[in-house]
Amino acid sequence: MRSTVMSRAVTWIGARATLGRATTRAISATLALGVLALVLGACGSSSSTTSSTTSSSSTPASSTSTPASAASGPGVGKPAITIGDKNFAEENILGSLYAQALQAKGYKVTLQENIGSTEIIFKDITAGRIDMYPEYTGVLLSAVAEQTKNPASAQAAYAEAKAYVEKHGLTLLNYTPFYDSNVLATLPAYAAQHHLSSVADLKPLGTQVTLGAPPEFATRFEGLLGLKQEYGVVPTFKPIAIELSYKALESGQVDVQNVFSTDGQLLGGKFKLLADPKHVFGFQNVAPVVRQSVLSAEGPAFAETLNKVSSLLTLPAIQQMNAAVSIDKESATSVAQKFLQANGLS
Amino acid sequence: MNQFVEAFQFIGRNGAIPGDPQLPSLLHLTLETLKVGAIGVAISLAIALPLGIWLGHIHRGSFLAINAGNLGRALPSLAVLAIGDAFLGLGLPVVELALVILAVPPIVTNAYLAIDGVDPELVDAARGMGMSELRILGRVELPLAIPLIFAGVRTASVFVISTTTIAALAGFSGSLGDVIANETSYHFSGVLGAAICVAALALAVDGALALVQRLLTPRGLRLAQSKRGYRLADAARTA
Amino acid sequence: MSPLAAAGPVIPNYRSASSSCVVHNHLFCTEWIAHNWSPILWPALRQHILLTAVAVALGFLIAAALALLAHRHGWVERPTIVLTTILYTIPSLALFELLVAPVGANVIAAEIALVSYTLLILFRNIVTGLREVPADVREAAEGMGMSRRQVLLRVELPLALPAIVAGLRIATVTIIALATIVYVVCNQGLGVPIHTALGEGPFKTELIAAGGLAILLALVADALLVGAQWLLTPWLRARSA
Repeated sequence: MRSTVMSRAVTWIGARATLGRATTRAISATLALGVLALVLGACGSSSSTTSSTTSSSSTPASSTSTPASAASGPGVGKPAITIGDKNFAEENILGSLYAQALQAKGYKVTLQENIGSTEIIFKDITAGRIDMYPEYTGVLLSAVAEQTKNPASAQAAYAEAKAYVEKHGLTLLNYTPFYDSNVLATLPAYAAQHHLSSVADLKPLGTQVTLGAPPEFATRFEGLLGLKQEYGVVPTFKPIAIELSYKALESGQVDVQNVFSTDGQLLGGKFKLLADPKHVFGFQNVAPVVRQSVLSAEGPAFAETLNKVSSLLTLPAIQQMNAAVSIDKESATSVAQKFLQANGLS
Repeated sequence: MNQFVEAFQFIGRNGAIPGDPQLPSLLHLTLETLKVGAIGVAISLAIALPLGIWLGHIHRGSFLAINAGNLGRALPSLAVLAIGDAFLGLGLPVVELALVILAVPPIVTNAYLAIDGVDPELVDAARGMGMSELRILGRVELPLAIPLIFAGVRTASVFVISTTTIAALAGFSGSLGDVIANETSYHFSGVLGAAICVAALALAVDGALALVQRLLTPRGLRLAQSKRGYRLADAARTA
Repeated sequence: MSPLAAAGPVIPNYRSASSSCVVHNHLFCTEWIAHNWSPILWPALRQHILLTAVAVALGFLIAAALALLAHRHGWVERPTIVLTTILYTIPSLALFELLVAPVGANVIAAEIALVSYTLLILFRNIVTGLREVPADVREAAEGMGMSRRQVLLRVELPLALPAIVAGLRIATVTIIALATIVYVVCNQGLGVPIHTALGEGPFKTELIAAGGLAILLALVADALLVGAQWLLTPWLRARSA
């Protein structure tokens, strides 16, 4: 079959002298298109990596490199800033909140979302690839500073974290009222059955109780290590990915599940939370980490705006926003926008 | 390059993280990946080989066989896993289902092309000699089809290993993908170490299958194909 | 330094806009899709198309250059096949991470990996296509007085077109599927909404929308390339020789 095609092709080529030119044109056109795609791609990609990219938090108006900044305000004329956030919903919300609030004041902001884990994003800010990102004080101490000592209060945690980042050319702005610490949740029936009201009550259950948490829980002090050291609690550990937390708990895969105190799913009292009197899970208020050089270059209104936003972030506020994103599947951008509008900051 | 040094140190430690004995070792995860992949490939072979070989033998269903290949290539493995997760939850059976869905098309396509492409004169000669259909298949068509069939099997096997590790992104635990998807615990040195292991595993499996292919190819064919063989096999690999 | 003791914030009533379809995680909530097309789905689709176009274009240029080289100097073929096969065999997730070490977690690492996956397919198809041109046709052309370059452009390449376009089809479809994993190293492509959807539920509508878009994209691209092949090979359409 192929030979007849070939012979037909050959005859055609022999018969039509113009084919050569047409084909050459076709091939050159294809190559030109290819190069054009390359160039466009390079421009397009380079601007998207430094701009509000997709996922639930992109600015609705445009996803290119210049998001909508206000035309007037203290930020106009100041150098452009890049804000980053980690790859989960609450960080997306925080990133959008801070970015949009600054834009409303005329700052030119680029929001780089879903950068990755703490290690990666902290490397980015110390290398100057981003200028600011929202971080949890306890995470700074345990994951970045790799401290194993437990701070005694939220204030102490903040002070220690601030002292640490200042050694790296960074600083912390004010911290939020809310904190997003790990908390152990269980079903009310299970809690009633074993008389559980605090983490300490898990000790007598020994390995009979199955505890679910993401894998890093096993190696952290705000995890199995601290539970054993401070409470003598040694459960059977089951690695459960964060997104599957509530499913695992509700389906009975685990007896106790590590969740986060600001989860939207906790609104409505469906789960019993175990108290942590010894603060093993530390203090996890959020504070913007900023490069010191950027802070001075952007003027006083920069810190003021960010601090104003932070002051509004109470536990109910962030829980409602988390619920809107995780349960109602709203985009983090629109959730942030509504919040700022309702509080006169947009 | 310092990161590669740390990665190899991670591998040397068998994936242990100082201070935590509870995480599964790298060796265990590698074997698990192999196990999950082997089951997937075995099931796929059981389904796809008979189908492709038979269709090729009766020279029917070319549209189906060839477009199955196209469709299989077009299905993003993450999307298949994610949709399986959405409907059925993500346990071993669902992952195996996704693996089979992704591995069957290349095997069917290649088996079909391999058997269909056997020189018809040889088949006619065998028929003329009075061979039954099954004997023709076994004695004439299959031996000649081995390079192409194996190309399909090799492609599918590597793809299955790849998809097994991707399943970790969808939340399935029990493969080397667990480490790659969990930079928070293992740090980048661990992720890089696991990536090196995955790459090595895939190359090893491919090499082992290439060896089996060589053993199964009849001697005469092997000699005849020595120059064109690799080209044919590689052509068929991506057919 | 302590948090300002401000009056409590005004919390908008988010639940009023909640849709029962989404809350109950039905298969396909059209209003969610309509509402989130421009912030989430379309940017992801656009980036996915760009990622693919750049990877295939770059891969084609490299593979074509290597193929023309191999066509002239036969010894080039074997090592190129070996190298591109090794690259092709490395599973995507592993290759992305391996590239992050030297290059960083950005779109460049993603593109290098994607290009690597196109090379084997495109190289092999271009070389095979050129090789399949019958020797007597080539000799006839040379006999007609064509230079080597003219033979290539006017005879060999047109005849090799079906094989080349077949390779482009396979490469494009493969890359579209692989680009859904790109999100692990840079925040682009349809993998991003898939990942978000997996993290929340999973959220079926977003999963099906993003996954479905990837599959649709592959099918459309394949159809377009088949059309291009049909346009570029008129002799296959000719009713009489």
